[in-house]
Amino acid sequence: MASRDAVESPRSAPRRSGAPVVPKDGGAASLLSPRFRSAAELAGWDEESVFAALIVEDTPVRESRRKRRSSTSVGSGGGGGSTGSNTRKRRSRRQAPMIPPVTLSLDDDDKLDTATDVKKDAKGKEDEKPVVVGDKEASGSGEKRDAMGKLPCMDRLREELSCAICLEICFEPSTTPCGHSFCMKCLKHAAAKCGKRCPKCRQLIRSCTVNTVLWNTIQLLFPNEVEARRTSIASCNDDVSQSPSSSSFSQGGMRTRNNRGALITEGRTRSSYRNFVTAGSTTNSSNNGGFIRAHGSTRDSNSRRGFVPASQLITNRSSARSEQSDDAALAYRLQQQEFMNAFQSDETQQRPPSPPRNTVSTARDNLRAMASRAIRLRSRGWPI
Amino acid sequence: MSSFPNSRFPYPAGAGPPAGGGGAARSSVRPWGSSGGTSVSSSGKRIQKELLDLNASDCSAGPKGDNLYHWLSTIIGPEGSPYEGGIFFLDIVFPPDYPFKPPMVTFKTRIYHCNVDSTGKVHLDILRDGWSPAFTISKVLLAIKDIISNPDPYAPLVMSIAHQYLTDRAKHDEIAAEWTMRFAR
Repeated sequence: MASRDAVESPRSAPRRSGAPVVPKDGGAASLLSPRFRSAAELAGWDEESVFAALIVEDTPVRESRRKRRSSTSVGSGGGGGSTGSNTRKRRSRRQAPMIPPVTLSLDDDDKLDTATDVKKDAKGKEDEKPVVVGDKEASGSGEKRDAMGKLPCMDRLREELSCAICLEICFEPSTTPCGHSFCMKCLKHAAAKCGKRCPKCRQLIRSCTVNTVLWNTIQLLFPNEVEARRTSIASCNDDVSQSPSSSSFSQGGMRTRNNRGALITEGRTRSSYRNFVTAGSTTNSSNNGGFIRAHGSTRDSNSRRGFVPASQLITNRSSARSEQSDDAALAYRLQQQEFMNAFQSDETQQRPPSPPRNTVSTARDNLRAMASRAIRLRSRGWPI
Repeated sequence: MSSFPNSRFPYPAGAGPPAGGGGAARSSVRPWGSSGGTSVSSSGKRIQKELLDLNASDCSAGPKGDNLYHWLSTIIGPEGSPYEGGIFFLDIVFPPDYPFKPPMVTFKTRIYHCNVDSTGKVHLDILRDGWSPAFTISKVLLAIKDIISNPDPYAPLVMSIAHQYLTDRAKHDEIAAEWTMRFAR
């Protein structure tokens, strides 16, 4: 309803393209400022779809604008002075064709905001629901998506979404409790070298995890930059890890991104099962087991039986950590928990690290191994 | 940038007092891309980015020669201060782990200022403990410009000038203007 109203009104009314200040008698052409209009034309947008997009989306950004509008409208609109801040009321008022002042107060605001309007809308929308964005744009305004690459505000977006530490587009952004976002890697470096304070406002940082919403947004908006960064990181890793074993691992790491779920479930069984696997017996177990262990505690590498050389563990850890994507972060946490659990129990029973073990613990290990093997076999679908 | 006339510098090349600390650090700084540590290349990347984005109004900065980690910068004396009309040269040395450690900034032009000593060392909080990796060189230059026009006599590097600034401001300004005429023009 409201959208149709708004869409049709600019056509019916005479256009006042040049006027910088719009009088209050309801020039509907001024719903969009001339600047915005020209920008939209440049981008090849249909006016109607722009309106539809503007009105259909109800984001917090617009909410705040509405609030401001209420404050300005008291001054500007003679009759509109009574406009409350209630959204519902306002909407109903906009529907009623009788009351022009409401559209008027909108003008004043839009003139200020339309320059950054698209940006706000795009950003606000995607901040809210990054997953929906694809569908929404595909279905709603196809032109908008096409124009995404050449938005006039792309530079500002780039500025907003870049990390203050490396000055590039945030890669795996992490948001501090105070609301500032940096690349997770940069933030970790900063925390290690400059103290655990926000680089922007010096508030204490407690944890740093990837802000998934923001990360998805960035990946949608700047796919090229993200890809470039990813390849550069990958090449860095290749340079760092010279040994063949670790390079084989890094491939494994890439692959496991898809089937990490399987890895997690294997984590527990692996760690105990490990006791029985001899040094070079299975390549795939060294892959997976190494990966899990690399994420586990460092204590582990000391007390371990030494099937995997320490150097491999270290390189594994570095290369694996750098390619955690957002979902991998979750998987990583789960793995850690899982592994810590498994390992704690493991450790308690192996207090004496010397080879001669008492019979009880060996028996327990045997049982564990059998159980885990059974589980593994069943998960592969083998009949037992 | 490297072809500034030497006469501009109050200190003869090599012989002068400029910053013992800075000089020592300079030799330890690896030129950009000299060896492939990731941290070095990332700091180099960031410095390059800063170089591209630099758009301060009345100060300029850029690498001295081939070394990306060693910059020369100029600051024009702020209007309304006794330093008006002077051009002050600054030496900026970036540490290898740059955004995480502050750059070392020293005045190469003599200045009568209670926060800058005779060797050119600047007393500025953000260049020491107050450093944050979110600062950029343009912000540092802005801060230096600010401290030039508003000296902080309560955290002085040269006691006598600070004392004079507090007790006899007119005399201080007079001498500062004189020094500016003598050294910074």
